[in-house]
Amino acid sequence: MWKWFKELDRILRGDATQLAALERGSVEIPVLGISCVIVILGMIYGVCMGTFALLRPDRPEYMQMAASAIKTPALFLITLVITFPSLYVFNALVGSRLFPLAVMRLLIASLGVNLAVLSSLGPIVAFFSVTTTSYPFIVLLNVLVFAVAGMLGLSFLLQTLHRLTVAEQPRGLRSSPPPPPRPQPTPSTEPVSAIGQAASAALAADPLATMQDATMQGAAPSDMAAETPSAEPVQPAHSGEYQPTGALDRLEQSVINAHVRFIFRCWIFVFGIVGAQVGWLMRPFIGNPNQDFAWFRPRASNFFEAVAQTFWNLFF
Amino acid sequence: MTSFLLRADGVLRGASWITRSSRPWTATRDLVLCVCLFGLTYGAAMGTFGGLTGDRPLQVLYSACKVPLLLLGTFLLSLPSFAVINTLFGLRRDLGEAIRAVVAAQAGVATVLASLAPFTLLWYVSAVSYQVAILFNAAMFTIASLAGQRLLRRYYQPLIARNRRHRVLLRTWIVVYAFVGIQMGWMFRPFIGSPNTPVQFFREETWGNAYVIVARLLWQVIAL
Repeated sequence: MWKWFKELDRILRGDATQLAALERGSVEIPVLGISCVIVILGMIYGVCMGTFALLRPDRPEYMQMAASAIKTPALFLITLVITFPSLYVFNALVGSRLFPLAVMRLLIASLGVNLAVLSSLGPIVAFFSVTTTSYPFIVLLNVLVFAVAGMLGLSFLLQTLHRLTVAEQPRGLRSSPPPPPRPQPTPSTEPVSAIGQAASAALAADPLATMQDATMQGAAPSDMAAETPSAEPVQPAHSGEYQPTGALDRLEQSVINAHVRFIFRCWIFVFGIVGAQVGWLMRPFIGNPNQDFAWFRPRASNFFEAVAQTFWNLFF
Repeated sequence: MTSFLLRADGVLRGASWITRSSRPWTATRDLVLCVCLFGLTYGAAMGTFGGLTGDRPLQVLYSACKVPLLLLGTFLLSLPSFAVINTLFGLRRDLGEAIRAVVAAQAGVATVLASLAPFTLLWYVSAVSYQVAILFNAAMFTIASLAGQRLLRRYYQPLIARNRRHRVLLRTWIVVYAFVGIQMGWMFRPFIGSPNTPVQFFREETWGNAYVIVARLLWQVIAL
């Protein structure tokens, strides 16, 4: 369990999405482990959100808290299931080399980011839920928190998509020129020689890697050093100035064509809209104090109209 | 005691042991101690408005506890999101330093408040109006929080020099901290304790949300 949280931490730090780590064309994370973490974090936030129903003036609504704790992770996983097929298909249409598992891993990773931010804001939501009796205020606060978490999660998705596209490039380039001949070290043992060859190939590819490096902002030389299958432990080249690339850093002058960029933007849009609407269908999450508990409410209007209405209710 | 006061002096001067400490836990402990001790001092002074007779010492005790609770409670609630967002923006390496910087700013707020306590006492002796006493305390808190912000910026300067993104996160922290802090302050009322009402820790009848009340007031002003 702890190991999975460590994996999520690696995603948040941006270690899992460094160009070097994306060499194999996908974000290398344990899908099941991160999914479990997503469910746990979602439940934590659900409980924080449910405290509003628990502290109703007339009678506490325990079922609402339980329902919120179940619904919050479900909301994200259902959004994932609904959007996954179309995201994959359209991505394949524009010629990206992301395979289904890679797309799934990418989406799970960005949901992980989304829920980490969401649950970290949970204590603030719980505090306001405890001290506030105004239902519209709590609804708007939760919408705001979901929006902040969603935006960070989606910008992680966008940046990682860019990086995956960039990470695909050097492999293609590197395979074409043959490595220049180089004096073979006297092979004492077989494995060492294999390592030496791998290192030589990496050396040969180094100019290309450096070119690639130049297209990235803030990427340290050590990123590329980590990419090489060198036997030595990776040392940051300039440890004093070493700035690791954050998970949300934009790659400047990236070599992505307009089609792919357009599709990526569509991903973000679709993911956001579907998430909002699934959330609306699964309401109540907070529980209106004037209504009895229900697992679901009848279909009515849509998310955006309801938010506008709530805003109005705050004042009247 | 002298060494503690020397360390408190260091907090005000932006001493290097706070952010670049080789023993981060000791530094954090000293800062929290600073918040508690000086917060208690100002809180106690603030609670003396109703006098010290009858059950009024209880109000002094309550007020004294509330100031450190207000500062540390707000800090703890805002901390998880601060840590996650810092990590997400690639600033995890500086997180310890950033956290100590924000704790140090709160220690600074508490120290400034404690230094203003004699003014508050003087004001209480010379004026009798409860409303004006509230305004005077609000002014003291404003001065202390401005000083705290200045201190926070000073502690953040090396971080910003290292990575400009710290500036954005500093602003985010201030917004979140103020958002939570205002509601926390509202919840912990009464800080001063009206002489005409019984002594109590929380005011049950005015349990509510500061923002909703302000929004309603504003709306009434606009609608009139």
